[in-house]
Amino acid sequence: MNEVDCLGLKCPLPIILMATELKTLAVGDCLLLKSDDPATFPDLLAWSRMTGNEIEKISETTFMITKKS
Amino acid sequence: MVPITGEFQAESPLHPAAAALLSESFARGWADPHKLHRASRQVGILLAEAKEIYARHLGIRSDWIHFLGEPGLGFHLAISGLLRPNSTLFYTATDREEVLALAESHLAPGNSRQIPVDHFGQVDMSQLDAKTEDLLVWQLANGETGTVREPLSSHSGFSGSIFVDATASGALHALPSTFACALWDAQAWSGPAGLGIVAINPESAWRNPLPSLSPTQLLGSFSIPLALTGAVALEHWMGDRLMQRAKLSEMNSHIRNFLKVEIADVDIVQPSPTILLDRLSFSFLYVDAEQLVNELSANGYSVDSGSACVSSNLEFSHVLAAMGYLTHGNIRIRLHNDITWPTVHQFLSTLKIVVEKLRAI
Repeated sequence: MNEVDCLGLKCPLPIILMATELKTLAVGDCLLLKSDDPATFPDLLAWSRMTGNEIEKISETTFMITKKS
Repeated sequence: MVPITGEFQAESPLHPAAAALLSESFARGWADPHKLHRASRQVGILLAEAKEIYARHLGIRSDWIHFLGEPGLGFHLAISGLLRPNSTLFYTATDREEVLALAESHLAPGNSRQIPVDHFGQVDMSQLDAKTEDLLVWQLANGETGTVREPLSSHSGFSGSIFVDATASGALHALPSTFACALWDAQAWSGPAGLGIVAINPESAWRNPLPSLSPTQLLGSFSIPLALTGAVALEHWMGDRLMQRAKLSEMNSHIRNFLKVEIADVDIVQPSPTILLDRLSFSFLYVDAEQLVNELSANGYSVDSGSACVSSNLEFSHVLAAMGYLTHGNIRIRLHNDITWPTVHQFLSTLKIVVEKLRAI
């Protein structure tokens, strides 16, 4: 599974790097995002609402992204 | 000379009528209104007249009014004065930082309860199980997003005391039918900075939380010129507002439509259903707010932001996060009364160019 390691990076970089990587994937594919910026989770929720892609919080710093569109 | 307020920043310029009075007021000395001399009695009369103006526009009794030199301190004095050791403090995630700080420090863990807000900043009061000694912080409107709460009276009854945060709504939105204390900031109506107006219902359980020989009096210090100037600003601002309403409503709608049509991936805080017409908050996906604010500043536009990289404490906006909006790439603007259509059009054109430029980096 593709993984984007953004530990230590501040928003919006985790969202930008994750979205860039997501563009290379097919609909239905998943990727793992690692980020310890506290803004990442609320921003992922908003990003999911805006783009239609799915997120799942695995841990405080790990998020599963599923490409839906 | 550098202007102290930017075109689109939250801080409002002093109303011209108030500015004229302020310079004259500071040029003369003011007697202590509590003394018996003729000059003191004249000051007392002027302050009483000012209180009548505040009372008329804010919807309160003039003898409930206390002035405070530091509006932010009003949160502590009012809320702490209503809390008892067995009180639970009910508040929402979109309340001001002063309230969140009070909730964190209130008495003992578990004595504070945060009420969730929905995407429009509204709260469901039906699930609250409150005692008469409990306290609810009720924010009439949020100054960051411009969202306005539905009137409290339309919800199920809250049996405790109510503190009303009217610092952003000013005189525009009605107070709940009953409340213990309320707080305004004169800057809401283009009044001077450094002036808070606190209303204390004498039938409430409020007691001065500071050691005081007059436990039912709020003995804060304040500037007499600012108190008088704030009343003049309020009087004029309310008159102007009726004329400004149509313009601000049209501008607010135009900006929302421009953002939706002209710029992709914008998260705009939605009306809820009513809004403060002079405030807008929106976030651009994949844009760094610090770069955005700096680029706009370089182009001559001053805006505020709720993104972490722009805030003084490097924390993202708790209001945007609580309402489920994007916290990065955020800017918020305030439309002041003297704003013109050419300025709005030029600002939006610049904004579009800047966002496209930053996204292309």
